[in-house]
Amino acid sequence: MDKLLTVTALRRVVQLTAFVFFVYGAMIFATFYTDDKLTQALPALSCAYDMKGGDYCALIPLQHQMDHRVSTLFTQNAGVMEALMGTLITIGTVALLILILNKAFCGWLCPLGFFQEAITMIGTKLGLTQLGSLSRETVNKIRPIKWFLFLFLVLLFPILTGIGLLGHEWGSPFCSICPSRIMTTAMTGDMNQIYISQANGGYFALSLIADTLFGLMIALALFVTQPFCRICPILPMQTLFKKIGLLRLVKNGNSHCDSCSNCVKACPMDIYEIQDQAENRNITHSDCTLCGRCVEFCPHDGVMNFKYGPLTLYSSSKEGFKKRTKIDKWWKG
Amino acid sequence: MKQILFSLLLGISLWGYGDGAIYWTPHGCDEGKATASKHGGHGKGESAMFALMNSEENASARLILPNLSENNLTFTLNTVMLPKPPMGGYYAMVAEGTETNGSYSAIRYLTLHGRPAKVSPTKLTALPKTVLEIIPDPLHREHDRYTASKSYRFLLHFRGKPLINTAVTLETYNTPAQTYTTDNKGAFSITLPNDFKNVQVGRSENKPSEFLLTTQHRDGEHLYKSTLTMPYSLNPNDYWQSQTYGAGAIFIGFLGGLLVYRRTKKGAKNG
Repeated sequence: MDKLLTVTALRRVVQLTAFVFFVYGAMIFATFYTDDKLTQALPALSCAYDMKGGDYCALIPLQHQMDHRVSTLFTQNAGVMEALMGTLITIGTVALLILILNKAFCGWLCPLGFFQEAITMIGTKLGLTQLGSLSRETVNKIRPIKWFLFLFLVLLFPILTGIGLLGHEWGSPFCSICPSRIMTTAMTGDMNQIYISQANGGYFALSLIADTLFGLMIALALFVTQPFCRICPILPMQTLFKKIGLLRLVKNGNSHCDSCSNCVKACPMDIYEIQDQAENRNITHSDCTLCGRCVEFCPHDGVMNFKYGPLTLYSSSKEGFKKRTKIDKWWKG
Repeated sequence: MKQILFSLLLGISLWGYGDGAIYWTPHGCDEGKATASKHGGHGKGESAMFALMNSEENASARLILPNLSENNLTFTLNTVMLPKPPMGGYYAMVAEGTETNGSYSAIRYLTLHGRPAKVSPTKLTALPKTVLEIIPDPLHREHDRYTASKSYRFLLHFRGKPLINTAVTLETYNTPAQTYTTDNKGAFSITLPNDFKNVQVGRSENKPSEFLLTTQHRDGEHLYKSTLTMPYSLNPNDYWQSQTYGAGAIFIGFLGGLLVYRRTKKGAKNG
């Protein structure tokens, strides 16, 4: 039993539990009404369109607030507090959640993240050649996309819609293209979110992007780790508060780290920066999902650490590395 | 005078619905409904004026707030005007009336915008409101709406207990009455008909319609009748949204991903 007890095994159990809660939670733990949700502002892609879900992501209220509240600053000369209070509550909730679990919402709790990892596992078992790591150049090209999505689809377009400069379809454009909307609803047997709209050009474009992106994500996940996570606009939102997160990745490299790159090879988000020299420093990167694979695959004692406040939860070690590599070989056959 | 004429017009236009039982309907001269219905979310398409059809003179009405407190509503002829909502969430409009050996009741739920009440909406539906009561199980979610071609479940209670093997009639403006029977838990499910006419492209271009559920139960000499009315919207997937094309787009995206796989595999082989 001890042989199978790894951070990844523990993470899979947590992910599966979180998936059940976030996709089916309203059937088991709570009612399906918005008023009964735990936070209504999760920093993870648990979708509000899923009527059976236990809680939902911060991006939908944020887009609505931009559209209906923040825009009133420009259209109705609304008071600053009246216009911004909803947004401040959402952002405050996200900040509090990040303080507690930091970016582990991605690596441990996000239903879409787990869905992609499950498909990657299927791809591995089907014998598809896994793409290892993306090149540094490719990673650098992909990284700005999530900021573009966050700034334009989550913030700017909804505000312009509220002002009246864009059509209603741009009121929540990220939700319109988000694969989690299709995945979580389909998982509950509701296929109504799979459609191409012919209402107008905007609706058509958004629905076409949504469906194509969903199909693309599934195919890519068969041989690339976390394809959608790399462009997910939740990451920029988390990044705003990652410095206050109690859970963090700390590297204590000094002379022990020989830059073997094992950590980068293990990283599902291909964060090359984690192999850089660091002495007792928080290296939780904007793209990090705190999955812990870099800690598991680091062959040096105490170089990579999972810390919660002053406590060290898990550290890299030679023994841990051997065990993890053995399991990895067994899994990949 | 104007209001009397409107009430008369409204009464004639809905003549024959509800099998003589009282039921709520948005007042025809309330322009707020048409304007508000162009957007979803809280307070979507909710009227502030409602008419109680088939009402007797002794009918009384009350509004149950999301925090479960109650306000009496005053009729002007058969019409009530709702007060400005003091809080956000679900409200229930309840009307009751009596005649010799008979009791009538009508319920309608509304979602109105305001500061959240911090009381679970389940408590409003669970609260016994009338002797005979049709209860949505569940009521549609705050940002959702009743939609054509979808199925919904309801419970039928008499004195707070499930009423089994009892007929409930579903009526809409454009579809003949259909009868459902409650099961051994007092539950029944309906599928709202796709019966919209002159449909325009875009949900905001089409006003919601109304559905009416009517039931009756005899307890000794006393006959109880109860109704539930709610608005329902057309389903875009029946008109300008294609699920087949959606599935096709997913397939094309999937093929695109496989092409990338093929290229990367080739690239890896070529070193």
